Order: sequence, then structure tokens, then C-alpha cells
Amino acid sequence: MSHSIINVNDLTVAYNNKAAVRHLNIDVKAGSLTAVVGPNGAGKSTLMKAIMKLIKPTSGQTSVMDDTSKKALKNIAYVPQKGDVNWDFPATVLDVVIMGRYVHKGWFKRPNNEDTRIALEALKTMKMTEYKDRQISELSGGQRQRVFLARAIAHDASIYLMDEPLQGIDITTEKLIIDTMKNLQKQGKTFLVVHHNLNTVPEYFDHVIILNKTVIASGPVKEVWSEDNINAAYYEMM
Amino acid sequence: MDILTSYSFIIVAFGTVILAIASGVVGTVSVLKGQSLIGDAIGHATFPGVVIAFMIFGMMETSVLVIGAVIFGVLAFWFINKITSESKISLDSALALILSSFFGLGMVLKSYVQGNSNFSGTQGIDDFIFGQAAYMLRSDVYIIIAAALISLLIFTIFYHQLRIYIFDEAYSRTIGINKNLMNTLVLLMTIALISVGLKAVGAILIVNILIVPAVIGSLWSNRFLNVLVIAGISGGVSAFIGTFVSTAFTGIPTGPAIILSLSILLILSLVVAPKGLGSKIIQSKKRGANI
Repeated sequence: MSHSIINVNDLTVAYNNKAAVRHLNIDVKAGSLTAVVGPNGAGKSTLMKAIMKLIKPTSGQTSVMDDTSKKALKNIAYVPQKGDVNWDFPATVLDVVIMGRYVHKGWFKRPNNEDTRIALEALKTMKMTEYKDRQISELSGGQRQRVFLARAIAHDASIYLMDEPLQGIDITTEKLIIDTMKNLQKQGKTFLVVHHNLNTVPEYFDHVIILNKTVIASGPVKEVWSEDNINAAYYEMM
Repeated sequence: MDILTSYSFIIVAFGTVILAIASGVVGTVSVLKGQSLIGDAIGHATFPGVVIAFMIFGMMETSVLVIGAVIFGVLAFWFINKITSESKISLDSALALILSSFFGLGMVLKSYVQGNSNFSGTQGIDDFIFGQAAYMLRSDVYIIIAAALISLLIFTIFYHQLRIYIFDEAYSRTIGINKNLMNTLVLLMTIALISVGLKAVGAILIVNILIVPAVIGSLWSNRFLNVLVIAGISGGVSAFIGTFVSTAFTGIPTGPAIILSLSILLILSLVVAPKGLGSKIIQSKKRGANI
């Protein structure tokens, strides 16, 4: 896992002339489990959205598999923050997971049995099979996150970009998500995950990007996960 | 009961029913996106467009007036966007501002036109405020049917994209759904239906047939497709009843009659629908009994 699968090159994003991130240079290694950590307002979500081309950079660029165009995004399953979604939308758990299949189908075909099978398989992986007909508004935070990950699995991408997937969920779901990530990593998948719990970084991830508007440190957890770097991001005035 | 078989009633009812079905379906998008009041502002804002089109062309031809309505609908939306993106005025204030000032402009122009001997045949303008289906012509109904069918066709073509876009905008964009296209389509369908529906339902109440059917649909089902179907049916049934009542009793405007039918349907749904208040109360009583 030496080559980089996502490249961020001198990325600056500003909202109303205030920089959210400045001159980021990041390589995400293929097949890695990479955490993005940093204090509130460090620009973690901004980085994720810039990679997904949901926001326009002020300068610099991002590429996925050496492709700077939007086409490359097909290789990424994006898992937004739970709060970014309309949970009152009339849909069942299975409906949402099947949404992950459209990227492969073109827009004018209905999902077929094969898509349903893949979606059910994904639900099984996330131990949500018995909830498949449940209305999504009735789910707990942890269950919602499982549904999101199931949709990403059904999407069948090589890269997963997840924004705070472990925020506000139960411990069982947290363990399940981490186990699933590690299993998928064995199949060659890459994960870039915004993470807030510093204590679990070494246990859950092998690479880390420490961010506070600029990149404080980035690389294998063993090399860069040091007190100095964490303090530099969280406790020193930038 | 002669009304039901009268040729003119059948034509008019056909028009209002198709209009309400399409509005129920298209309006569901705004309701689920939490943008219902944009339709209200646009509805009111089309009124001055109707009056100005009449002033310029001097005729009560619906095809001409609809163009004025569409232009002012788009203009209102443009203003709302401009105000919210470039000032600190919030969306609800911007909506109230545009709704009242556009409608006020329409009322001023209407009074001016009706009090001015240079304009003749001005009585019909009043129909656009509350709607008067009885005065609808066959040509009006044809325009409604055209707009409704085109809207339903667009909706069907983009059904899957709209569904994912409403539920999860960020994800939808990452899988190639064009946000601007979705917004534009929804806006155009909404403005088109409002504009052709003005003469039947009126500028003040037209938003109702976009919103209430969707609310009724959401009370009955957890599936998007079912919500759409139920919204369409409730709109259609209410339009039929409202048109019948306003045709049978002189003096009752069609718009309010349709809206009243929808309101009754909504209250019934709130009481008996699976996701209504009635079933919630029963469930919480059961839970209470179990403790």
C-alpha cells in the first residue's frame, strides 16, 4: 500500500473571505485506514467536501486515482454526517440502501433483483436485516449510521469517505463499524474517516492526518501520532 | 344532479382534477424539502404578472396571462434568492416581503385598471384572486392539461434522481445528480402549475393544492411512491368536490371550495391515518397501560 489514491495539492478553501483550510498537501495511501482529526473548526468536513467536489476550492486541487475530474468520484462512497440528511423522508431502510446502487445503473432503470440482493447482503453485514422494512425516521443514531454504511457497501466503491461516522452512536455499533472497516480493508478498500475520539486513533487507524486549518502532521500513526503533534493542533494558537 | 352530466362541468372538473393531481405530486418535493412557503410567495407574486399581461395585451386570453404569471413567478424566486444570498435577511422574512409586496402591486394595478375607462372587460381579473372555475373556458382547460402532463412526465423521468436528491443532497451530488438541474426542474414545474391554475384556484390559495396533498400523503405512508400517489389522489378528489360545490351553488368561488375539501380530508387523515395524531394518542395510551 505505497501509492496514494487521493491527492490534495495546495488546497485552500475560504468562506466569505475567511480561510477554512490553507495550503493543504495530503496523500491518502491506497488500502489505508486514515483518520482525519483536529479541533472544531479545523476544516475536517471542508476537506472531505472539497475532495467530493461539493465545494469549490479557492485555490489548489484534489484528485482521486490521479483524476481531477468529477468522474473519479464514482470510485468513492461518501457517507455524510447524519445531520445532513432528511430523516423524515418517507423511505424504508432497504430503500435507502438500494440508493447506493444507482451509481452503477444509469438513471432510468429500476433497481433489479440483483441490486436488492446486494443491498440485503450489505444490511446483513451491518446486522440490520430485521430492520429492512422499518421507516428511517424510527431509527436510533447508531442504526442510522449502520444504514449509511450499508448504503456505502452497496455502492461497492474502492474508497470510503466518512464524515464523523462514530459521532453519537452506541458502543456496539462503533465496534461493528470498525470491524467492518477492517474487513473491507483486507479486500483492498481505502478509508478516509473524520474522527473525534483521540484515544481510539491508534487502535482503529493505521494512518492519520492531524489538521488545524493547515496540516500539522500526516502519515502512519506509528510515526506521527505524538503528543507534540496533537498539542500543536489542539492547544496552540494557530 | 344535472350538473354532473353537464358538458361544461365535465370539462371544468376534468381541468381542476388534473391540475390538482399534478400539483399534489410536484408539491410533495417542496414539502419534503421543507420549502413549502416558497410556493406561497410565488403563488401571490404571479398576480401582478396577470394584471400587467392584461394591461399590455388588453385581453383576458389565458395563454397570454399565463406568460405574465410565469415571468413574475420566476422574478419573485430570483428576488428571494438574491435577498437571502446577499443580505442578512432570513428566508422567511424574504418570503413574506416578496409575497406581500408583489401581491400589493397586483392589487394596486387591478384597482387602477378596473377604475380606468381605457380598459374594458376587466371584471375577469377578480377571478384570478380566488379562482372561478365556472368561468373557465375549454381553452383554459387545455392549457392546464398540457402543463400538468408535461410536469408529470418530467417528474417521472427524473423520479429516481429527485428521490435521492430530496433525501440526501450531499450524497446525491457525489453520485452525479445535478443540484441546479433538480432545483430548476422543481421550480419550473411549480411555477407552471401555479400559473395555469390561477384562474381555477386563485393566487391566494393556490399554494394549498401544492402542500396539503403532500401532508395528507405523508400521514398515510412511509414510502415515497405511495405518498406521491396518495397526494395526487387527495388533490384530485378534493378538486372534483370543490368544483362541483362551486358550480352547484352560485357565488361560491372554486378555490376556497377545493381548499375546504382538502382541509376536511386532512382533518380526517389526522384522526384515522396510521401516522396521524389519532394513532399516536392510541399508541401512547397503550404504552402508558403497559408501564
